[in-house]
Amino acid sequence: MSLLKATGLRASYGQVDVLLGIDIEVNEGEMVVVLGANGAGKTTTMRAISGTIPRSGSVMYDGHDIVSQSAESIVRSGIAHVPQGRGTFSELTVEENLRIGAYVRKDSIESDIDRWYKTFPRLEERKNQRAGSLSGGEQQMLAIARALMSRPRLLLCDEPSLGLAPLITQELFTVLKSLNQQDGLSVLLVEQNANLALKVASKVYLLETGQVVASGTAEAIAGDERIRKAYLGG
Amino acid sequence: MERLLQYVFDGLSFGAIYALLALGLVVVFRGTGHLNFAQGEMAMFCTFIIWQINEWSVPLVFAVLIGMLFGFLLGAGTEATVIRSVAKKSPGGVFVVSIALFLGLNSLASMIWDRSEGYTMKSLFPNKPEDFVRILGAEWRYKYIGVLIVALALMGMLFLLFSKTKFGLAMRSVASNPESARLVGVPSGLVLAASWGIAASMGALSGALVGGINGQITPSLMFTVFIYASAAATLGGLDSPGGAVIAGLLIGVGEQLAAGFAPGWIGQDLKLSVALISIFVVLLVKPSGLFGSLKVERV
Amino acid sequence: MLNIKEGSVTHWAIRVVGALLLVAFIVYIPTQSETARIGQFASGFTLIIAAMSLNLVLGYTGQISIGHSAFFGIGGYTAAILIRDHGWSPGYTFYAAAVIAFVVGCLIALPVLRIRGAYLALVTLAVAVLFPTLLRWRKLEWLTSGAQGIDSVKYDELPVWPILGELKGRDGRAVFAYWLGLLVLVVTFLICRGLVKSRVGRSLVAIRDNETAAAVMGVNITRTKVIIFGISASLCALAGVLSTLSSGVVTPDGQYVTLLGSIIFLLIMVVGGAGTLSGPIVGGLVYVWLDNTTRGIGTDSKGIVGYIFGWTDQSPATLILGLALIVIMLFAPTGLVGLIRKISRRIVTVTPRAITTE
Repeated sequence: MSLLKATGLRASYGQVDVLLGIDIEVNEGEMVVVLGANGAGKTTTMRAISGTIPRSGSVMYDGHDIVSQSAESIVRSGIAHVPQGRGTFSELTVEENLRIGAYVRKDSIESDIDRWYKTFPRLEERKNQRAGSLSGGEQQMLAIARALMSRPRLLLCDEPSLGLAPLITQELFTVLKSLNQQDGLSVLLVEQNANLALKVASKVYLLETGQVVASGTAEAIAGDERIRKAYLGG
Repeated sequence: MERLLQYVFDGLSFGAIYALLALGLVVVFRGTGHLNFAQGEMAMFCTFIIWQINEWSVPLVFAVLIGMLFGFLLGAGTEATVIRSVAKKSPGGVFVVSIALFLGLNSLASMIWDRSEGYTMKSLFPNKPEDFVRILGAEWRYKYIGVLIVALALMGMLFLLFSKTKFGLAMRSVASNPESARLVGVPSGLVLAASWGIAASMGALSGALVGGINGQITPSLMFTVFIYASAAATLGGLDSPGGAVIAGLLIGVGEQLAAGFAPGWIGQDLKLSVALISIFVVLLVKPSGLFGSLKVERV
Repeated sequence: MLNIKEGSVTHWAIRVVGALLLVAFIVYIPTQSETARIGQFASGFTLIIAAMSLNLVLGYTGQISIGHSAFFGIGGYTAAILIRDHGWSPGYTFYAAAVIAFVVGCLIALPVLRIRGAYLALVTLAVAVLFPTLLRWRKLEWLTSGAQGIDSVKYDELPVWPILGELKGRDGRAVFAYWLGLLVLVVTFLICRGLVKSRVGRSLVAIRDNETAAAVMGVNITRTKVIIFGISASLCALAGVLSTLSSGVVTPDGQYVTLLGSIIFLLIMVVGGAGTLSGPIVGGLVYVWLDNTTRGIGTDSKGIVGYIFGWTDQSPATLILGLALIVIMLFAPTGLVGLIRKISRRIVTVTPRAITTE
């Protein structure tokens, strides 16, 4: 069942057109990966979906077109965006970061906080520390937990492995995979680390200068000679 | 000794007023990154509104509360309309616009309330000649004590707002990382407007307290207070609310001491210069202020 | 829609005609108008010079100064003190004022410009407020004559200039002030233009917005910015000298010596067009015109005298300009000059000369 379907998604920064008409679909319970070189428009695609930049085209989410909705209401509808670079609230404590992640919710969030502390014990250890003092890996965990605090149905994750050691990255992906499989969380993932991403994804899109140039299952893409050579290091 | 105490007592009260206004400057700066040059004039305008409402037979306490509400609306309204539009087109222009607001509010107030001798403003606190407390030989007038208590109470409430409420957390999150705040669904527009609203509201109270102390209000009421508040905000650190309070009190006491113990050199003439010089010194020595954490880079 | 080629005959013709009109206008004023009007233009020139100096700061540091009234005052007081108390001849006071203002300007700017952030505004605010207070300070009364200011700054002989012949009396002084102001204005304009077009100027502007480049270049950037601030202060001081020379008086409450003056300079610059060479000129002329047409309105309805503030009879022109500023920032941030350019582009376009490789 289609959860998110973007058709002809366009976006620009000033006069420069960055997205030239993207078609992407995420079905319920899927983990979809967007690959592409730097500057291909991956981050812009995420921003266009989460509503943080002006965009045009159509983005059907759960039956409605959210292409002209505000970022705030998109969060309320159940899409959470973990930005590239983590976007930590450095001056707030770890726990405050989690709390603000649940801003749109009106119910009790204590059980969620407990859950994420159990999933990421290191966050609990540092719960009253200033978030800016955490290591890169910890901040990434925090960013993901923060996004999950709003109990989204779709998680947009932009380059979570950026700047992280392989071990931490492994941990993160394990968590993401389990959330996807056990909780049915749909995930749209942008990654440069193609090998890792292909291991967890069910569907892959390949972006090149603002357009989708290839798509298919992870096996299909991984098996394609040309793509391997161009993007996956042969 | 009693002179010293006297200066300290008086200084604390004045300092608390500076701190109130300085807090307004810091709230706006932290929340929006902008300096509101019209902070003092907004406060002055609200004070006149308070006076006017009081003239219409509303008890002063209620008039002050209404005035603070008016201030909130004035600040939030200004942000949501003029400031936001200008900020989109040219961020530097916001400061210039606040200068225009400074002029505009002053002119408007001068036109509406145009008696050149000013108007008599009542004090919120008992103000007869015998209303004071004697501590170790120094007189601490009730109205000064009252000012200090009220100002501190309001600042306390503001801190509670920031640290204990959801909206306060939202405001801090916007100040910390506006992009991410949007991503978690914080309504940035509301937060920005609320920052300006809160600042103007505190300014209104600050003005009412000043009016009560002076007994007389004119459109140039808040001008020097604004200068002191700017100095306090700079000294404390433009992004540190606690710093603004401490710096405000320090400056208040400092200027009384300077004026009192060096009447020949400083005296009433150059009292203001204490605040002004401190701006220079801070920027020379520690630009981020005593408690500020702005990543101030040397060019 | 006219389309003209750059360098073509039509292009030259338009520019020559424009220049002739300008010259005609400039000469018309002192020779054909009444003394009052001439005086207004002369004070307008003063304002324009001050606004131009402010433009330098904004253009090269990206920050706003609201302290130029102090430099204006330094110029005005230097001239007054040197002429009345030391018998200097007016001409040399320009140089003295420029030097003093340059030094003071550099001292003020040095701590501020080496840190990034909007601190210049705060510091210049402090300067603008402190200056009149210092002028009134009892300890400095021997120099500044305190609150009453310095008056009777007279100079008897007006120089005989070749074209103008002899100028006598009040009318003569007005005409003299006009031409002197125009001269200083032209000099200021050329200096500003020279700075803008110089290599240093252009590279500074390019770097100003690029922090990494600035960091790499290090100290030199700060030094250049400080020097430009100093130059800006000097130019503003020249305006102050002009003001003293034409009115013969300078006081701590003087129109442009207080913070209000700084604000007016800023308003003129922004409304005219911040960052453009001709913006201050347009802005200044508009202000002078507004001031004259609205002066009569409502002079009895306000007039709040705040000592530090110096709002003597406040001209409605300031309020109007303030409102105009908000409107401009909302709809035309490039100021009047920007607007004019946009409109004229719809009427006439100048296609650039084709660059050939031969």
